[in-house]
Amino acid sequence: MTRTSLRLLAAGPVLALAVTLGAGAPAGAQSCEVASTIRMAGNDWQSSHFHNAVTQFILEKGYGCKTVSVPGTTQPLLNALARGDVDILMELWKANNVEIWAKMMKSGRVVETGGVSIQGAVQGWFVPRYVVAGNARRGIKATAPGLKSVSDMPKYKALFKDPEEPSKGRFYNCKLGWNCERVNSKKLVAYNLLGDYTNFQPGSGAALAAAIGSAFKRGKPIVFYYWGPTWVLGKYDVVMLKEPPFDKTKWDKLDKSKDGKGLEATAYPTIKVYVAANKKFAQKAPKIMAFLGKYAMKDDLVNKALVYMRENKDKTGRKAAMEFLKAHPAIWTKWVPADVAARVKAGL
Amino acid sequence: MSFGAAISLLLIAGGVFGAALVLTGARPGLARSRRLGLAGAAALAAAVALVIADLAGMGLLAGASEGAAPLLPLADWVDRAVDWLVTAYGDALRENISNPIVYAIGFFERFLYQSIAWPAMAVAFALFAYHASRKWTLALFVAVAFVLIWALQLWKPTMQTLSLISVSILVTALVGLPLGIAMGLSNRFRTAMMPVLDFMQTMPSFVYLIPVVMLFGLGTFSGVLATAVYAAPPLIRLTDLGLRLVDKEVMEAATAFGASRSQKLWRVQLPLALPNVMAGVNQSIMMALAMVVIASMIGVRGLGQEVFYGLQRQEPGTGFTAGLCIVLLAIVLDRITQAYGRRMQAHYQTGAY
Repeated sequence: MTRTSLRLLAAGPVLALAVTLGAGAPAGAQSCEVASTIRMAGNDWQSSHFHNAVTQFILEKGYGCKTVSVPGTTQPLLNALARGDVDILMELWKANNVEIWAKMMKSGRVVETGGVSIQGAVQGWFVPRYVVAGNARRGIKATAPGLKSVSDMPKYKALFKDPEEPSKGRFYNCKLGWNCERVNSKKLVAYNLLGDYTNFQPGSGAALAAAIGSAFKRGKPIVFYYWGPTWVLGKYDVVMLKEPPFDKTKWDKLDKSKDGKGLEATAYPTIKVYVAANKKFAQKAPKIMAFLGKYAMKDDLVNKALVYMRENKDKTGRKAAMEFLKAHPAIWTKWVPADVAARVKAGL
Repeated sequence: MSFGAAISLLLIAGGVFGAALVLTGARPGLARSRRLGLAGAAALAAAVALVIADLAGMGLLAGASEGAAPLLPLADWVDRAVDWLVTAYGDALRENISNPIVYAIGFFERFLYQSIAWPAMAVAFALFAYHASRKWTLALFVAVAFVLIWALQLWKPTMQTLSLISVSILVTALVGLPLGIAMGLSNRFRTAMMPVLDFMQTMPSFVYLIPVVMLFGLGTFSGVLATAVYAAPPLIRLTDLGLRLVDKEVMEAATAFGASRSQKLWRVQLPLALPNVMAGVNQSIMMALAMVVIASMIGVRGLGQEVFYGLQRQEPGTGFTAGLCIVLLAIVLDRITQAYGRRMQAHYQTGAY
């Protein structure tokens, strides 16, 4: 008997029974439903790395699969999922890609697994808390005590001065080409802010985070779009600017319009982020699909993992994933059958 | 012991053996057999020490390890240095250096696409091309290229990119020419500069983009800085080369006529090196254009942003048309600067100076 199964025997009679029922097969010799390596969509943001790492660990140790994370950006990876170049997408931001996803579902080449990788993702426009309330410890005075909603922004444009066009404030938009960038651009029109603010496109997420980090380090004002769960929202103390409450009809109209002229805008809905898969892959791997369908994580757990990743220089999310698996068995053991859970635990 | 560890052990012991042979060879009067014996003993001792250290868990014979904290925490030092720079000097750098320059570039950019009508710009560049080459075909090509850019509705981003390239090349020339000249004149300075230039050309730009952004903010200033760092080496290298390629006999003649050092530099070396310097400018412009897309990732407006947008949205058309404009701009600038370079060469070779 292998050392692993001995450890399992010691773990308890239930597990021992499972091993015995497994016709004496040594634990860990479980063969994967798919022979080829499972390709995960490695979106270029941290929570995607974390979810991938958790899923990969479970698939590798629990199901005996080979896995790899394919790096890329949102749109190319969505297309890759439809083509079958990528098997699993852990973070489908459906609300941000409504039309594209509807089209892809219609083509019959992708499926939603039912799993939810983030249960309450926030998006909005933020300012540092010290801008509104000051920070006595750092000696920062509140420079915009009356800044509560997007409609207050014109009053304070001088605070957020754009060095390229000093007569206006600078609004830091989302990553270039993302749907949030397009929605924000339309919101700037709908809220009638373009006369007072420039629509500044930071290009990449790294650049946007650097701009925010720099402002926080220097205690300077900045107004920016951001989304959670992210280490940025986990680490920095921010205030979300109020917008008219979310209204689906108004939202859809704005989302479909070309530039938002003459339309009303509302706050972003708090949304769920789903786990999706390629259809052909789903048909080949019903057991893995059952696991992905039960995958569910709250956003505060993800936030915690992200801060852990940043503070421990854990680029791939592997360490954070193992931390999570060790600390919260009550959560993830519900996603998989008992024998799989036992093998994952043995691999930790 | 694993196969890899055995090979590692052999390699290290072999290294010690060789080093001991070389070291003992430095002492005359030592018999060959004695040297071999000493070296063998040293290699054996090293091997034994390594095996013991390995068994003690120091992992000297293991392959790459993951997850362990680095022995040399250079990454942490860099993090702390950047943190300190940003908190201590971030505001001052922005207010005194980057913001005024950013404003000036913004002004220049708006001047190019708002104040000047596009046909006027096309005509100006066509005249420019004719002046450089004295060929009406090139002038016509330049004019057609600009009409094409206008027809693609990409005039504004093209002018934004042109403005970024112009300012970057200006900075490159202001910094690069003196450095190149100094390298051409001093062998010691050249030896010191070579690794710096290698560093500038091979260090991936993303590495310095983020600290630059934290210090100077997103937008044109950081873009110009990143572009200039990447584009300057060819100009510096070719200026150095140009000065060194000047005929020795010409220099001797100048000395024989009693020319002073500065006279030789300004009246003989530099004029003869100009075609090479011009080739350097040409190369720098091409390198700068290659940086356009990367600069868009730190909020620089222009064609790079259009390309990046096309990539992010999976719109091949958007990416292609913007990419085409970059190519057109590159060809126009390349042909004009090359023509100037050729004319200078012809000018100085016919002795019209």
